[in-house]
Amino acid sequence: MSQQHRYRRREDVQHDTNKQEYRTNGPARWSNSRKRGVDGSLRSDDATSHSPDEKQHHRDNRDQDHHRDQYYHSDNRHAKKAKRGGLVASHDAPTPSFTTPESEGPASRRDRRREADREMDRDGEMVRDGETDTDGETDTRDRDWARQVESTELRRDAQRYRRRILAPEYTQRERKNSSGSSDSRESPVPTAGEMETDEAVLFRRQKQINYGKNTLAYDQYSKEVPKHTREQGVHPKTPNKFKKYSRRSWDQQIKLWKVKLHAGWDPAPKKDGEEKDGEEDGEQLGLEDIMDIEEDSQNSTGSSNGLPVLLEDDDYMGTPVKMKKTEPDMA
Amino acid sequence: MENSKDDLKIQSFDLETQKLLKTALKDPASVNLEKVSNIIIDQSLKDQVFSKEAGRICFAIVQAESKQNNGSVFRRNLLNRLQQVFTEREKLRKSSRQEWVCYVTFICNVFDYLKVNNMPMVALVHPVYDCLLRLSQPDALLNEDEVDCLVLQLHRIGEQLERINPQRMDELFYLLRDGFLLQDGLTSMARLLLLEILEFRAGGWVLSNTAQKYYYSELAD
Repeated sequence: MSQQHRYRRREDVQHDTNKQEYRTNGPARWSNSRKRGVDGSLRSDDATSHSPDEKQHHRDNRDQDHHRDQYYHSDNRHAKKAKRGGLVASHDAPTPSFTTPESEGPASRRDRRREADREMDRDGEMVRDGETDTDGETDTRDRDWARQVESTELRRDAQRYRRRILAPEYTQRERKNSSGSSDSRESPVPTAGEMETDEAVLFRRQKQINYGKNTLAYDQYSKEVPKHTREQGVHPKTPNKFKKYSRRSWDQQIKLWKVKLHAGWDPAPKKDGEEKDGEEDGEQLGLEDIMDIEEDSQNSTGSSNGLPVLLEDDDYMGTPVKMKKTEPDMA
Repeated sequence: MENSKDDLKIQSFDLETQKLLKTALKDPASVNLEKVSNIIIDQSLKDQVFSKEAGRICFAIVQAESKQNNGSVFRRNLLNRLQQVFTEREKLRKSSRQEWVCYVTFICNVFDYLKVNNMPMVALVHPVYDCLLRLSQPDALLNEDEVDCLVLQLHRIGEQLERINPQRMDELFYLLRDGFLLQDGLTSMARLLLLEILEFRAGGWVLSNTAQKYYYSELAD
């Protein structure tokens, strides 16, 4: 029942130079003094002139058989705890040529190298995107774990979205939706090639969307107006993070979206004596209210990531070529 | 939908904290999730029993937060702290082996329970392997508590780990075989544990019936 084929991979693994030092080529030398047949009798080396693969198999089999013999004939079988001392004595002493466990294993060496690298980072962030490490595997330990996980989720989001927009009916529906929304884009939902794919951008946009959705207003809105009854222009629509927009355009869309939400569905009065009873109140929202919204006062988790939505300095980069207008129409 | 409170092991906490955790599960946005994650992590490092199942409550809170507002504050902070401790693990091990063992138990438990898109978090694979490999080093094998931790984790997540990265599992088992065969000073218990895990993996992460009988049942004399 043992997975013998698994151990064949040992030979493949020896190409890895790290491991070379640790393991000798071919079967471990310790086995030279200890080969036993199934019946437990010592075998001479000549009797086992197999290929390295088979030697591997035999050794593994022999291990199990050998130990099994010991156990089945031992009187101490029921003594699970501390009575196994006799066992070790039955093994031959290891030959001096054997690579002892005390020698550096690949893991410890890699550990040490990483520790050295990480010295510099200990005070600061864990994020290090430009890894100097040539071994691709060790990179991921040092990169921000939380970020990696979020990237995974984003990637799946993007995949799902891409699959959706490639469906013809969806694209047609989107074409009808041009006027009235703060989305200045006249073109329909982008084809897969024109999607926003920059993870940092998607991530930031999703965060902004989350801030907006994590409000009583949005809660109220989504309960009151199910998606299929929503009319464009009348009902606020969540900006589509996968579409290409400039930074300013996107931020403005988010702002307007939130304003609309609060204007129409904010259950708690923003100021004393001000009652929200419908969309007409939109005009009454003063500058302070908009600033309030932008400062993410709705985010009540009190967590440390309350970054002001607009103040991230990463990209006010040039607008991508396929951009159209950068200033949206005021709704 | 919700785990029973017993599963989540919140009895490990004082009453006030239990209340906080319950609120975190019902209404995550209303609590300071960063604080909650720190409470859970701190307890995991102290309380061995809790560390073995702390992943459950973490996952429950992650799901609750995600469902409520698509947020990931809790998870982010959890992972950041786990990562911080990870980078200092050698120091941790020297200063408190108990905490080190609790940490490994916890991070493995998080790996086990905190799935993303129904898959284990890839970001944790190497760190988990690093921890288990550390436990397989000769100096660690001399300590029964570290060996015990090692085999427990392999029982729980070995199969998953191997599926994702079989090479490193091979690497680990080379160390275990060597340790078992050559390490002087291993306790009999440690050797027993190692042998069992060797057989366990060799059997495809399942113990054969005979092995099961051998290791886990008392024989009448």
